[in-house]
This record gives sequence, structure tokens and C-alpha cells, in this order.
Amino acid sequence: MEPAIVCANLTKSYGAKGNLTQALRGIDLEVKPGELFMLVGPSGCGKTTLISVIAGILNHDEGSCAIFSHDLDAMEDGERTEFRGRNVGFVFQAYNLIPTLTTTENTSIPLILNGVPRAEATERSREMLKQVGLGAKLDTLPTELSGGQQQRVAIARALVHNPRLIVCDEPTSALDHTTGAEIMELFRHEALKEGRTLVIVTHDARIFHYADRIGVMDDGRITRIVNSPSEL
Amino acid sequence: MYLIALKMLVGNKGKFFAMIFGVALTSLIITQQSSIFVGLMSRTVGFIFDTPLPDLWVMDPKVQFVDDIKPMQDTKLLQVRGVQGVEWAVPLYKGSIRARLANGTFQTCNVIGLDDSTLVGGPPTMLEGRVADLRLADSVIVDEAGALGKLAKPGATPQSPRTPLKVGDLLELNDNRAVVVGIARTTRTFQSQPVVYTTYSRAMRFAPRERKLLSFILAKVKPGENFTEVARRINAQTGLAAYTGPQLKGLTIRYFMKNTGIPINFGIAVGLGFLVGVAIVGQTFYSFITDNMRYLGILKAMGAKNNVLFTMIVLQTFLVGALGSGIGMGIASLTSIISKNSELAFYMPWQIPIITVLATTLITLLTTIFSLWKVIRLEPGIVFRG
Repeated sequence: MEPAIVCANLTKSYGAKGNLTQALRGIDLEVKPGELFMLVGPSGCGKTTLISVIAGILNHDEGSCAIFSHDLDAMEDGERTEFRGRNVGFVFQAYNLIPTLTTTENTSIPLILNGVPRAEATERSREMLKQVGLGAKLDTLPTELSGGQQQRVAIARALVHNPRLIVCDEPTSALDHTTGAEIMELFRHEALKEGRTLVIVTHDARIFHYADRIGVMDDGRITRIVNSPSEL
Repeated sequence: MYLIALKMLVGNKGKFFAMIFGVALTSLIITQQSSIFVGLMSRTVGFIFDTPLPDLWVMDPKVQFVDDIKPMQDTKLLQVRGVQGVEWAVPLYKGSIRARLANGTFQTCNVIGLDDSTLVGGPPTMLEGRVADLRLADSVIVDEAGALGKLAKPGATPQSPRTPLKVGDLLELNDNRAVVVGIARTTRTFQSQPVVYTTYSRAMRFAPRERKLLSFILAKVKPGENFTEVARRINAQTGLAAYTGPQLKGLTIRYFMKNTGIPINFGIAVGLGFLVGVAIVGQTFYSFITDNMRYLGILKAMGAKNNVLFTMIVLQTFLVGALGSGIGMGIASLTSIISKNSELAFYMPWQIPIITVLATTLITLLTTIFSLWKVIRLEPGIVFRG
């Protein structure tokens, strides 16, 4: 089976000449379809930079990165945006729901951006919200929801257009243990359906056991990849 | 995405109303000040508006505007009547004469002396009495604003209300008895002085002694004759200047534009209104965009192309522009209705709303360009930053 993500000798630095910060120092990584892959490591080790490159929202300097055999380097800006819209879902630590839109409207954004008619987008969004357990909150504003409920809306938004890759940045850090566990269960049961790939960046050791594999990063490098938290 | 753009805009009520307020204030200031400017300018030529019958206004060639009276000898009237192409010509007196009020105070009036036989140049609208009543002894017609205001009869004490002048009341014009025989509605004058109509011969009696008293000659051109050609003949044969009504209006307005501080003062007010609009709307919208930058970044990350984000921002700014300018012009129009027939010189011709819409469009365009610049430079990578 073709890997979902293939990164080879990936480098990325920030800043101007003479004051460069090397965020990625030659990353080699392969993630399989249907895999829940976690990236862990201390702050500033390059985890977020790596998922930004994988998600196609940040250009890398050297090396290559292919998502489902599509070389992101070879794409024009508009083409890459379109690719992201169809194939990538995002979940953030701070949920990032648009506060003036209802849960259904927030969830329908990826569908509308992919040209799905409004009525169908609304219907599918409502269906997705029901799947993540928010059937009673279809027309609620994000500010009226708890943190866990907001993260469920964010997950519904990330899944609604059936992307093949979902990238998550600290999805449970702002949640208590029980809610974090519920969110991870949701990821395992809903997000990994249909051979979808999940890459999660986290500090939260309470959720490491949900991963199929864990990549440990340090100083811009993946130092080792383990199959279970006990090997860390 | 357009509905989402509108919800993002309207949902942030504080900023939404601040932006609408900014545009409304700008369009109100621009409309109001421009209308007052046009109103003042139209008052300078109000007398010409009120005297539409003659084809040509004949006067001393040194006259610079309609109130710049340079009297001519009465014999000039006969010369003008003799010019080929002139059907008729009548004299008109226009000058300032002091009226003495019952309490001993004086009020300067704008006295118009009409040709005794034809009464050409009389007031446009009579509210009481008839123009023909000017043929009665010592008769005068007073304008409505003057009768209700500056020429109204003072009360017994300075605090007592004044009684409006009415038909049958007496006036004392330069020590001459005058009887009010009519009240007329006229265009208000630039100096806001009462207007008193009487006959030419009576005006000669009221006016202070001067060697020459003929202010204008009003002439009608024979049918089929060219106005410009007849004016040229009048000038050639009498040495006087002859203008059509629109030409005299143009001459007067140009004089005021060139020789008074009115255009610069109102220009500054309009300019300040525009700058206030740019500052308030630009700053608020910039802050709105900055607040939404994270969400725009998320939309970009989720697949929104730049053109989609541009359209959303253009829609937002133009909605604010349309609502704001509509409210501003609405308030200005309300002022126009309320101030009708008042001291406020407010006249809003159709060109002013167009200028206001253009100005507010320019403000929203500048704001849009400024905001789009931020969006073009927006990196979707912003979404993962704390």
C-alpha cells in the first residue's frame, strides 16, 4: 500500500541570513494510510513546523514531502490550496471556530469551499454534528459551548468533507482528562474510518496510548519512532 | 461564503456599528456642508431666480455680481429700448434702504423698485395681497421671512414676542411712510435682509439722494432674435453690459467663489469630513480585519483561495459603505426637509448625493485595498501559532 505521507530530508529554517533558526534538520518520515501517528517532543523542537509542512500550509526549504503521492513542491499556490481543501482536515488546540457562526455553519465551511451547494452542505454538517454527539447543539454559537463541545465541532468540521489526512495540533491540551479521552475515542472511531490518516502533535502524555506509532522529535529531528508509549 | 462573510461582519456588532457610524458621519458631513455651500451660493443669485421674465439684464459694465450695484443714468433706458431686437425694456431699482421700526431701531432692507406701469420683476409668489396693489399710494410688498422676523413689530418690552407684519401695517422707509399691501414668498437673500418691493418711482423717493439711481434695465428680446447678438448690440450702442439670467448667475457665483472665503471654508469642512471617514472607517475596518486574521487564515488553510477572501472583504466593506452613506444622506435629507424655508441655507441638488456616494466609495475602496494587502500577505501557517 502506498504511504500517506513521505518526507525525505526535509529542512526548514526561519529568520534572516545571519540569524537563522533551524526548525527542521533533515526529517525522514513515512506514515501509512489509516494510521494514527503522534509527534511528541519538547516545545520548540519543530513539531508544529513539521505538521504545517505536511498539511501544505508552510513551504519547506530543502528535501521533499509527498502527501498521497502528490509532491507539494510541484504544486502552484492555488493548486496547493485546492489540494488542502479537498484532502486535509485541521483540528487546533484553541478550536478556532468562527465565533459569529453557528455550529452547523462552522462545520459546513469546508463543504462550501469545495463547491457543495448550501442546502446539501447544511444537511451533511448536521449529520456530522450528530455523529460527534452534538445533535442537540446544531444551531448553537461556539461561545455557548463547553471546550469539549467546541473541540467536537472542530472535529466535525475537519471530517465533514471526507479528507484523507487530518492534522491536529494539541487537540486535548485545553481539555480535562475525561473530555480529552472522549475526544481521542472520537478520533479513533470517527476520524480513522475509511483509511484516513491522522497526525497529532501533542505534549499530552495521557493520550499517547491512542497512537499506532509515536515519533519523538528533538531539535528539528525525529530521533526515534516507537510503537507504544511504554517504549518512550 | 458570502453569507459567512456577512455573518462575520454583522456578528461583531461593536465594530460593525462603529464602521457604519464612521461612514454615516462622513457622508453626513460631506452632504451637509456641500448642501449648505450650494444653498449659500444659490442665495447669492436668489433674486435672479425670482425674476425669470426678462431675457437680458442690462447694467453698468463694471458690475461684478448681482448685488454690486453701479447705478446708471435714466436715459440709458431709452437707449436700450432703441436697440434693434429689444422688444421692451423696463427699469429696476435695487438697493439697501433703512426701515425704522416702532421701537426706534433700524433694519436695513433690500428694496426692489419695479417699473410703475408693468410691474415686471415682481415677487414670484404672493401669500397675501396682489402685485397690482403696488399701484396704491405708498404701497410696499414685504417678503414672508422679513414680515415674520426682522420687520415684525416689537413688543412693549424687549422680552415681549414680536408681532408679524401684516397687510395694512405701516413702515417707515428712510423717513417715508410706506403701507404694507402684500406679503410675498421670495428666495432668501445672501445677507438674510428683508426684501421690500415697491414701484420704481416710489423707490426713487425712498432711496437716499443720488445723481443716478437706475440699477438694472430688464429687457425682453424680440421673438426670433438671438440673445447673444442682441446683448452684443446693446453693449456696442450703449456701452452697457447685457447678460442673460444664467450668465448673471454665473458671474455672481464666480465672484463669490473667487473673492470670498466661502469655498475654502466649506472645502475644508468637506475635506475634514472625508479624512474623518478615512480615519474612523479605515482604522475600525483594519482592526476588524486584524481581529479576523486568524479566521481568514483558517479559511485559507481549509482551502479558501485569495479571490474568495477578497470577495468576502469587498462585500463586507461595500455593505458598510452602502449602509453608512445611506444613513448619512438620509439624515442630511431630513435636515433639508426640516430646514425648508428657514434661515439655514441648505440646498441639495442631485449632484451632491452622487459626490457623497463617490467619496464614501473611495473611502471603502481605500479601506478594502489596505485590508486586502494584509490578506495577500497572510500565511495560512498562522493557524498553528498560539
